[in-house]
Amino acid sequence: MKDSITQKAGIITAVAFGVVLVSTAGYSTVSAQGLPEGFKKGELAAEPSAEMIEAGKRVYFTKCVWCHGVDGAGDGPGADRLWPRPRNFNQGTFKIRHTASGELPLFDAKKPIPGQNDLFETVTHGLPGSAMPPWEGILSEEQRQQVLSFVTTQLVKDRKFTDKQSESQTVLQLADLKPKPATDESKKRGGELIVEKKCVECHGMEGRGDGNAFNLKDDWGFSIQPANWHKCWNFRGSRQDPYSVSNIFRTFSTGVNGTPMPSFADNTTVDERWDIANFVNSLCERDPLGNPLPIDPLTDKPKINFVIPSDMVEGEIPTDLEHEAWKKAPRRYVAMGGQITHKPRNFVNRLDDIWVRSLYNDKHIVYLLEWDDRTKSVAEGKLPWAPTQVNIDVKEQDPKTGEEGSIAAHQNNYAVYNDAIAIETAVKWKELPAPIKPRYLFGTNEQFPVDIVKWEADGSLRAFKGTGWDKDFEERDNYEEAMKLLKAEWKNGRWYVMIQRPVGNKKDQDYDEDTFFEVGQYIPTVFFAWDGHNGDAGRKMAVSAFYYTFMNPPVPQETYIYPVVIAVGVVLLEGWILTRRSNRKKGKAL
Amino acid sequence: MKALMSLGALIGVAGLLLLGGMTFGVIPSTTVRLVEGYMPIQLLLEIASYVIGFTGLSYMLSAMGMALPRFWQGIGFWIFLMLYLKFRVYPPIPFSVRAMYGTVGLVTVFMWVSANEEDWKKFKQPIMNVLDAQTGMNRLLRYVYLVLIPILIGGFSFNAMMPKSEEPIELRTVHPAPPASTKVHGKTYTLQTSQNPYRVNPEGKYDQEYSNANIVEQGMGRLMKPNANPWDEKNQGYLKYVREGGEIFFQNCHFCHGDNLNGRGLHAFAFNPIPANFTDPGTIAQLQETFIFWRVSKGGIGLPNEGFPWASVMPPWEQHLTVDEIWKVVLFEYWHTGYYPRTWD
Repeated sequence: MKDSITQKAGIITAVAFGVVLVSTAGYSTVSAQGLPEGFKKGELAAEPSAEMIEAGKRVYFTKCVWCHGVDGAGDGPGADRLWPRPRNFNQGTFKIRHTASGELPLFDAKKPIPGQNDLFETVTHGLPGSAMPPWEGILSEEQRQQVLSFVTTQLVKDRKFTDKQSESQTVLQLADLKPKPATDESKKRGGELIVEKKCVECHGMEGRGDGNAFNLKDDWGFSIQPANWHKCWNFRGSRQDPYSVSNIFRTFSTGVNGTPMPSFADNTTVDERWDIANFVNSLCERDPLGNPLPIDPLTDKPKINFVIPSDMVEGEIPTDLEHEAWKKAPRRYVAMGGQITHKPRNFVNRLDDIWVRSLYNDKHIVYLLEWDDRTKSVAEGKLPWAPTQVNIDVKEQDPKTGEEGSIAAHQNNYAVYNDAIAIETAVKWKELPAPIKPRYLFGTNEQFPVDIVKWEADGSLRAFKGTGWDKDFEERDNYEEAMKLLKAEWKNGRWYVMIQRPVGNKKDQDYDEDTFFEVGQYIPTVFFAWDGHNGDAGRKMAVSAFYYTFMNPPVPQETYIYPVVIAVGVVLLEGWILTRRSNRKKGKAL
Repeated sequence: MKALMSLGALIGVAGLLLLGGMTFGVIPSTTVRLVEGYMPIQLLLEIASYVIGFTGLSYMLSAMGMALPRFWQGIGFWIFLMLYLKFRVYPPIPFSVRAMYGTVGLVTVFMWVSANEEDWKKFKQPIMNVLDAQTGMNRLLRYVYLVLIPILIGGFSFNAMMPKSEEPIELRTVHPAPPASTKVHGKTYTLQTSQNPYRVNPEGKYDQEYSNANIVEQGMGRLMKPNANPWDEKNQGYLKYVREGGEIFFQNCHFCHGDNLNGRGLHAFAFNPIPANFTDPGTIAQLQETFIFWRVSKGGIGLPNEGFPWASVMPPWEQHLTVDEIWKVVLFEYWHTGYYPRTWD
């Protein structure tokens, strides 16, 4: 017993040393009490009551055990197919805290107060970007506190939340620190600081998390990736308020325990931290006017508009992204999920959104697809499947974590295939029964096929015909010459791909095989994407829901004529009512 | 009476300020949250408190000698209703549905203002006044209306005719009629007579009563019964299979249907229609176990023709799971949501 305590103390000291080593690399800004700026000493909370713990056990074994496991080691039945993996509670390592790096998070079974109870907030809001859902509205406040009482006392095994000998609380006083206004000057300074503090080494030159995408590991040896600053809705701890600088400030001040993200509290001033937070926040995707994207409160991701409008341009469609026509073209957020319908299934999906714009002229329609991918992947070897093949017989049930070939072992360790993107559109969509959508994946049948255009990072642009969910594709060589790759560039963690194809006419194209794009009509469109470093190939890919391509028509003349006619009609009607009323009154008076 | 009414007025003013503030983003729109699962009743309660508030408000106003004419009360309430439906209700309801509610609301307001002859007279008095234009003010109003109404209607129709790219509305059959029988892994199952082979008591006998007694408790959290922990290693029968079903669920299904079976899984945000929410009393609680067995086995691709638009990504799970595994998952879903499957009798 004593032995194990000394051993644990030893580990903690070692960890603390590690932290100190990392964090004192720069110069140090320490306050009079020896605490970093913005922090104050806190008290350890009292142990939760035995009733709370017992009640929490019931919550845990109904809701949590499935991912976090019987002993809280993050090894429940769901764990093997998740990445990021469920938390292993045993070491008491928690990410989202107001406490200094290496310390236990704030938890008080009697105080479910935001800002003073880190674990309670984590359970309430979940961890966006991971599989941990928000439990607000599902578990009552009391139940959330109960389950945390159970977890902190029974499942955190290496540390003790109430042990004054080994634990301390140094609490970031976030409520007392006023955010600095996000002026251009502050953001500029933040932009310089992230280079100076070496943030870019992991998070990348543009902050897309592409700096050191392969070698980072968490405390348990699992592969881990730096955050993409352009998707603030995926920041852990950011739910329902992703554009908040305070969340970034907190992460930056306290670090993320268990990961390579250190605390910068010791080598930055509070003022500098606000500058950095302002800069990082300014990178998150915004609408053309610079306002935050509207966030869907049900999914905590940007709201989705399923119509992708395409603007008309006269003459050639520009290939320059800076061209005015592209700047003006509406940009749509297309959410992507893992394809888990057909083998090989993509449980760990790394491309969770793409951005689409479109322009057309009398002959062609162009899609501009942009998406963040931390790695540029061009196939090193031969693809395991022909690109036309969809029925693949693969052994799929990955072994348990820790064994050879598990998802956890594979992560960042796959054979590299091509990054790719594909657009699936319906053929003869006008003849499909309402609501003019073919079967979702790869078409309905021979009569109602889909037209798939796929670009791959090796530079190829190919066309396929899909005739059904379990039918192999047919390659359409004759169509490939009709298409044109206008742009394909990977820069600082983002792909920019521009694909041009004919709008279709009966003289040059085949009505039975090609999608004909018509102005002012809703053309069902699905997007597929592959991340080559994630082992994505064939059906292991990301898929979107059905979207619609809509080519904005020029305004017809009737739009200007009819309203005038209607207005004149209303004037006549008014005259009639007034005459009638005054006649009636006259009649009465007589 | 007066005290009661002023309380009502207070509610009305506070409610209006709150709603207005949330709509215009002056105060955070999450100030009064819609609690999932209790949304309909919450909205009804909110509307009811607004009605109380308005009653108090109009009483106080008339007591202070600033009575609002019945005409404006009616119009005001209707406008409030429309704005409430548009800005408060989430997820947003499509315009066509709002138009339906609006019509019903309009009829209600009409019934209210025309409840008796006197009220009706009071209501139409302002209209008549403007038509007759006896005073200078009313004459001015009449000319303003004469010009404004054609311009407004013309403007609306221009707006309506401008080409737009709004998402077309899609209707869909949520629970299409199941076939009489389904063939899974080479064996035919008659949906009317099949039973879940794992709904058994510790002795191994089919026992609906036993299993129903061991599902989670209804109410907040839907927690397991204290003595019915599926993770207890001594379990035999039903609870043992619930656990096995849960393991399969959390390796295959939760990605879309969510950790709490509420259709909010990791990948769910990307899909449309969103994955089924099993905790909703309108899904599995309404269906027989065999229906679920059929839907799980055949997936979105197995939907009958009337089940369009077939946008479902639900895989035919027979390709990934054995028959036993599918039955166990079905068992788990009913256990975890605390619903009894419907039976034929």
